[in-house]
Amino acid sequence: MEGRPLDEQELVEQARGGDARAYEVLVRRYQDLAFRTAWVIAGGADAEDAAQEGFVKAWYALPRFRAGSPFRPWLLAIVANEARNRRRSGRRQDDLALRVAEDRPSGDAAPSPEAAALDSEQRRLLLAAVGRLGDSDRQVITCRYFLELSEAEMAAALGCRRGTVKSRLSRALARLRAALAEQDAAAAAATKLPGGDR
Amino acid sequence: MSQRELADIERALTDLGASLELPPTPDLAAAVSARLERAPAPTRLSPATRARRWLGGLGGWRRLAVAGLAVLLLAAAVLVASPSTREAVARRLGLRGVGVELGGTPPPTVTTTPGGRLDLGLGRRVSLEEARRRVSFPVLVPGTGGLGQPDAVFVSEVVPPGGRVDLVWRARPGLPASPFTDAGLLLTEFKGQPTPEFIKKVAVAGQVEFLEVGGEPAYFFSGEPHFFTYLDSAGNFREEQTRLAGNTLIWQRGDLTLRLEAQISKEETLRIAESMR
Repeated sequence: MEGRPLDEQELVEQARGGDARAYEVLVRRYQDLAFRTAWVIAGGADAEDAAQEGFVKAWYALPRFRAGSPFRPWLLAIVANEARNRRRSGRRQDDLALRVAEDRPSGDAAPSPEAAALDSEQRRLLLAAVGRLGDSDRQVITCRYFLELSEAEMAAALGCRRGTVKSRLSRALARLRAALAEQDAAAAAATKLPGGDR
Repeated sequence: MSQRELADIERALTDLGASLELPPTPDLAAAVSARLERAPAPTRLSPATRARRWLGGLGGWRRLAVAGLAVLLLAAAVLVASPSTREAVARRLGLRGVGVELGGTPPPTVTTTPGGRLDLGLGRRVSLEEARRRVSFPVLVPGTGGLGQPDAVFVSEVVPPGGRVDLVWRARPGLPASPFTDAGLLLTEFKGQPTPEFIKKVAVAGQVEFLEVGGEPAYFFSGEPHFFTYLDSAGNFREEQTRLAGNTLIWQRGDLTLRLEAQISKEETLRIAESMR
């Protein structure tokens, strides 16, 4: 998704000049990024609406876009703002309904090679621990590791200053570590119970 | 704090990220293009730049006055709803106390008010002063447009909570009678709550424009008549209260929601709306 920067600048310039076709190319290029970011912030139900509205608002805001500055963080700030507005006014965020690709939680998975099963089980535990974090921690971790946003993009998406992103992320990681330790301790206790293990 | 352990967690998160199924992205590009197709290009906003240059030649209060007008004109840079995004648009039509359904089926009953009457079933007829005493918000009146004081004022204190005031102006030259109410201009003011809705509208997509009045969101309904229903005094929407309306502007001013219905141009409507004091 790294796009060629020159190309992007050209497209943005054309769009700024009122070329809706150039803008459509930009939308197509960044719709994954915008939708997923909106989805992390607003939850599943409102993500599409927020992302679409964000793109429309960004089109009208293009005359105010500073030529030559990076487009992605600018766009993400608008989309994330839409997502936050929806979230504030609407219902609570849905669970981060992420799934580990190899192992869907719906129904019992078919038996798989032992190593892989273990691996995906670990992933699921990790994902569950992330899911139990507070919104702020979960969002910063999701943006960084699952959406792979840059620092500037994270700042735009999370609505904070760039300098704050790092400290927010390290606080979130520390809390995740504590949660994982707790999870391990609970699992260890469970295996000690007679019949607790199969 | 063990750095090694944190590094392990980061690695595990990166690994997890690579194996996640992210939600499928809907075709935003098509939806966005459909909406932009019928809307003005962003460069249409750039008359502001031209206006600024032109304003440089004027001075003092004249400049201010013209700037005010320019704000109004800019507000008219609109976004027109297109059917393909009906659902998204219906959700975003969220002025406090107003629900808008695009492309829905109108209810079977439509009320028309017998000709010549100023009483539109709006509540108790009172003086403007009386109305101001009865409701919980400051009642605004148009400051310009040569309208003068309203010809009739109605107040309802119960529904919606906080009360409602309707101001009616008789038809006159320049202010044609509405085929639906016979009034020239009908202005409704109420304290809009996020829920419940007090007004429901059913309009055809493409007939609603999203504008701004005083920097706050506004909707302008024009073209074919649209249907709307008031909440009655018992707090219910009743089909027999559905009536047709022509050009209507709905906007927000602080926690006040205002509705202006008149068979005049969008520009005139906006001018009156901006002048409310």
